[in-house]
Amino acid sequence: MTLELERVAIARGGRTLLGDVTLALESGFVALVGRNGVGKTTLLRTMAGALAPAEGAVRLDGVDVRALAPRERARRIALVEGGEPAFTALSVEDAVASARFPHHRWFEWEPTGEDGAAVDDALTRTDLTALRARELGTLSAGERQRVWIALAIAQRAGVVLLDEPTSHLDLKASVETLRLVRELADHGALVVAVLHQLEEAAAFADRVVVLGEGGVIADGVPPSALTSATIFRAFDVAVTVERGPDGLAFHRRTSAARR
Amino acid sequence: MRLLALAALVPLAMLIGVAFGGAAIAPAALAHALLHPASGGDVATIVWQLRVPRVCVAATVGAALALAGALLQALLRNPLVDPYLTGVSSGAGASIAIAATLGIAPALIPPLGFASGLATAVLVAVLARRGPRLDPERLILAGISLSALLSAIVTLALERLARGAASESILAWLAGSLAGRGWPDLVAAAPEALAGAALGAFAIPSLNVLRLGEGRAAALGVDVVRLQWVLLIGATLLTAAAVALAGLVGFVGLIVPHLARRVVGADLRALVPAAVLVGAALVVLADALARTLAAPAEIPLGVLLAFVGVPTFLVLYLRGAARSYA
Repeated sequence: MTLELERVAIARGGRTLLGDVTLALESGFVALVGRNGVGKTTLLRTMAGALAPAEGAVRLDGVDVRALAPRERARRIALVEGGEPAFTALSVEDAVASARFPHHRWFEWEPTGEDGAAVDDALTRTDLTALRARELGTLSAGERQRVWIALAIAQRAGVVLLDEPTSHLDLKASVETLRLVRELADHGALVVAVLHQLEEAAAFADRVVVLGEGGVIADGVPPSALTSATIFRAFDVAVTVERGPDGLAFHRRTSAARR
Repeated sequence: MRLLALAALVPLAMLIGVAFGGAAIAPAALAHALLHPASGGDVATIVWQLRVPRVCVAATVGAALALAGALLQALLRNPLVDPYLTGVSSGAGASIAIAATLGIAPALIPPLGFASGLATAVLVAVLARRGPRLDPERLILAGISLSALLSAIVTLALERLARGAASESILAWLAGSLAGRGWPDLVAAAPEALAGAALGAFAIPSLNVLRLGEGRAAALGVDVVRLQWVLLIGATLLTAAAVALAGLVGFVGLIVPHLARRVVGADLRALVPAAVLVGAALVVLADALARTLAAPAEIPLGVLLAFVGVPTFLVLYLRGAARSYA
């Protein structure tokens, strides 16, 4: 299973944000990092087929994702974005069950045994079984984030795209979420997550893509993609990168002039 | 199951509707007339030529309005939406008012109203477009403002008309009434109502997913743009059929979905049939009351429902029915 971006350019409001993005992604955990506004969310949505690229194409196993029918695309690509549901009285279980929609045909209204198994499996893996009857509006931000990930698990898509899954989460919730995401990748999915914390990217991802300067600044394993040079180009902040037994650590340089 | 209980409500309501009315009918005579339709005589005539068709029309109006309301509230994720939002009723009302003022033949007025109701709904939809999508907020604003404008036209027409048959017919239409409705009216409105219902039925699984929000629903494979158009057309057809049959009968489309939700919950696979059943039963019973309370005169159906509907709606709203939506 390969997700390919071929010379993709994305624009918003008439302005080109990123151009000539060419990536070939296979199973594993890929982290997307870059400044706010660089186009990470737009790129993620373009990869999901929700938006058309300004130029170039996104292909999943050779097929343009924009050419896939909505349900077919949803069976193969899951897009997880944070935020509130429209209807807060929906129960966790009903919300997760909605993820089985792409697997139904238009006349299939009743859930099948496979649907039930997928939902139970998703609730178990996100530790939501005890909360299955709770209404979405009564959950904490961390619990709600787990619901969105449970949706992606129940969807049984081979590609899972997550937009800032750990923003607004405390340390424990962040770590739990990333472990869950890591587990998805270990099960064979291609997981692409937009992350703000560089330490998180370094600790959990197999590959990091650094976006900035209108394109891809770096692409590779964490130690080679996240260097002082690439971070400075992407974030305009001087850091030193330290390799320790627990992984990479990033220390902002407070002494000496930046240039 | 609760849905079955509600299903039993409709025949019961219809029986009550046939049993009560301007002329009192003894139970024995009623039973005989129902079981022997061809028996002839005054009772059978009243039952089969007047009451049964009228009760069927009432059930259709109630079912259509409740269904349109349930579908639009689900589509727009707004529990305060009424099917008249589409502009159908105000469009129909304005053309009926103008036609009456101009003295156009009465037989032409219902189809004219139907056509202009649909045309207004199309205008509202066009105003609500943002790219390929219909923007819920714009739809609501466009519907409300066009309705206000067209209502003003109706008021103007009423003022211009001297007292007489024309203004009376406009007033009767505004108040909502099933007086004189029979099989021919039902047959004329049935195709629109059934087409609207079919479109609505298609949309139920997608509407359930839409509760997660438009973006998430789209990511799960819901074709949001197609869903919006299918439902808008369906709700418009249903409302147009109801308005052609009964004029302005308010509150059914707004409150029945809430009542149905209280009984069967928010899953649209249960909510939509429940709304249809409760709507049908409600209008049948209300029409029976309208015919009986001040017999031999009839209280306009719309008036009766307003007196019952407004307090019910306020109670529901104050008790937080609207709080389920973020």
